[in-house]
Amino acid sequence: MKLLAKTNRIYLAFSLVIYLLTALAFYQIIRLLIYEEVESRLRVERRDFETYVRIHNTWSSSPYFVENKIEVVPVSKRQSVRESFRDTLILNRYDNELTPFRQLTFYEPIHGVMHRVSIRKSLIQTYRLIEVITATMVVFLGLLLLGMFWFQRRLSGQLWYPFYETLSRIKQFDLSTNSSLDLSPTTITEFNELNDVLQKMAAKMQQDYRSLKEFTENASHEIQTPLALINAKVEQLIQTESLSESQTHWIETIYQASRRISRLNQGLLLLAKIENRQFNDSQCIDLANLLAQKLADMDDVLSFKHLSIQVGPVVPFEVSLPTALADSLVTNLVNNAIKHNQPNGRIELASTPDQLCLRNTGGALTTEPERLFERFKKESSGPDSVGLGLSIVRQICDSYGLRIAYQAADGVHEICIGRAS
Amino acid sequence: MKVLVIEDEQGLAESITDYMVKDGYICETVTTFRDAEEKIHLYTYDCVIVDLTLPDGNGFQLIEMLKRLMATTGVIIISARNTLEDKLKGLDIGSDDYLTKPFHLSELNARVKSLMRRRQFGGYTEIRFQELVVVPQTRKVFVNGQPTTLSRKEYDLLLYFLSNIDVALTKASIAEHLWGDNIDSADSFDMVYSHIKNLRRKLLEKGAADYIQSIYGIGYKFSQP
Repeated sequence: MKLLAKTNRIYLAFSLVIYLLTALAFYQIIRLLIYEEVESRLRVERRDFETYVRIHNTWSSSPYFVENKIEVVPVSKRQSVRESFRDTLILNRYDNELTPFRQLTFYEPIHGVMHRVSIRKSLIQTYRLIEVITATMVVFLGLLLLGMFWFQRRLSGQLWYPFYETLSRIKQFDLSTNSSLDLSPTTITEFNELNDVLQKMAAKMQQDYRSLKEFTENASHEIQTPLALINAKVEQLIQTESLSESQTHWIETIYQASRRISRLNQGLLLLAKIENRQFNDSQCIDLANLLAQKLADMDDVLSFKHLSIQVGPVVPFEVSLPTALADSLVTNLVNNAIKHNQPNGRIELASTPDQLCLRNTGGALTTEPERLFERFKKESSGPDSVGLGLSIVRQICDSYGLRIAYQAADGVHEICIGRAS
Repeated sequence: MKVLVIEDEQGLAESITDYMVKDGYICETVTTFRDAEEKIHLYTYDCVIVDLTLPDGNGFQLIEMLKRLMATTGVIIISARNTLEDKLKGLDIGSDDYLTKPFHLSELNARVKSLMRRRQFGGYTEIRFQELVVVPQTRKVFVNGQPTTLSRKEYDLLLYFLSNIDVALTKASIAEHLWGDNIDSADSFDMVYSHIKNLRRKLLEKGAADYIQSIYGIGYKFSQP
């Protein structure tokens, strides 16, 4: 949920509760005031009544009038309550409707006989008054609520504008370019602080990225050159005629080790470069065709290992990849399929416009399939393998929007590359 | 033939020079951009082997300078940088070959020889060794005048041997020469063995002497028996 929607929702809910409570309290207060007024008038009428009775010592009432009716009923015994107010409904004889009344009941002796006197007053006008007041209040409070809500929206939108501006700039920010993150200053201190922190972080990240990039370039040079030296010297050394068998063995070991370091170094540098996204000449490449070509190039290796190739329907599987990486990807896949194959095995290639699958026969896995793509994870501990091939494949796929899946069943291993959704 | 080696790593420059001198080249070595600049202005060379990263300059500039002065000189770049851009740029400004460090001296030697053959005699040249004759242009091999049919890899192998006569070649350098840098299979040495076996058999069948010797633990050597 968006920040503004969320705050608005909370604000709206809170305001509604407050307004309802206010309306209720308002209603009660008005009601109380009106009752007080009516009751005081009833008391005045009681005084009038008492005065009349005292002077005339009699009371004749016409029971015809509903309004302001005074009802006098003789009672044998006076009730303990001196006077009491209560609400009552009386049927209007014309329109057959019940009308609310407030009634005051008290006891008064007339001619020495105790009478119960009830004076009542219609509440119909006051009820209407309450209705009108309540309705007006609801309308005005509702309008106020809407107005506040609208104002709040506008205000928040304007207040948060620098934040959303910053957000969109960060989204567009590209680490690998040289342009720094530019955030315009705002009038709000917190946003200025946020922008400052972000700009510093971005600058630091860019600097780290640059130094990392330089490091990988320099490391390549600094490590490969001594290795070239070792290789050259070993090559010169083996030209010596009088080498003993153990000396030869040592030299060979040195030679193999230096070659392994070199491969390792190249593999790790390639991984670092892919991770740092230092390849940016992506092109549309038909991987299926490239893989088929690679398999054809390896024909003598395949025939040497007695491996047969079955190329199924090769539908172009086009992806956007840098040329160098596409080549590295298919080379590693093919090498993997050859290396982990069995004598007289098969390699199958099939593709659809959305997926490319390379299957090879081979023994059962000894490690977990998910760990196969990890660095330095080797199935066989051959001296020639540095265990980076599949992690390079994985890294390329991860970095360029491809999905890689591995499956093994009945001695057939399958690696499929598809588009990441 | 005169070769100039421009390489800042002294030891590596020495090794290259030693290797080339043994093969009959006249070799000079410089380790800085400034010295290299002076040399190419003063003398002419048949081939220049140049490192791209020099302490006081860039190998690309040297190549551009050299190509302006003497366009026929062959140029081979040796560099630790193995990016495609560097390789393309190298070829773009007129270098003939690009070797990534670490490389095999025997491979460098073979590349220099191949380059020299292409440069001289309009590319038409025969390689002779005793009763063997190889015509690189048509990829034909003759033993005592009789044509011999070799597979593509066997032919490449023979040419590699002929470029490095009397030199112990490691199995790894042969494998990399035949299948490139990408060969990462433990079987490559077995494949080298199988190709060498076939090549030797075919040459012997046509009456050639047994020139290919196996060196225990290291590899093979092509020399007079």
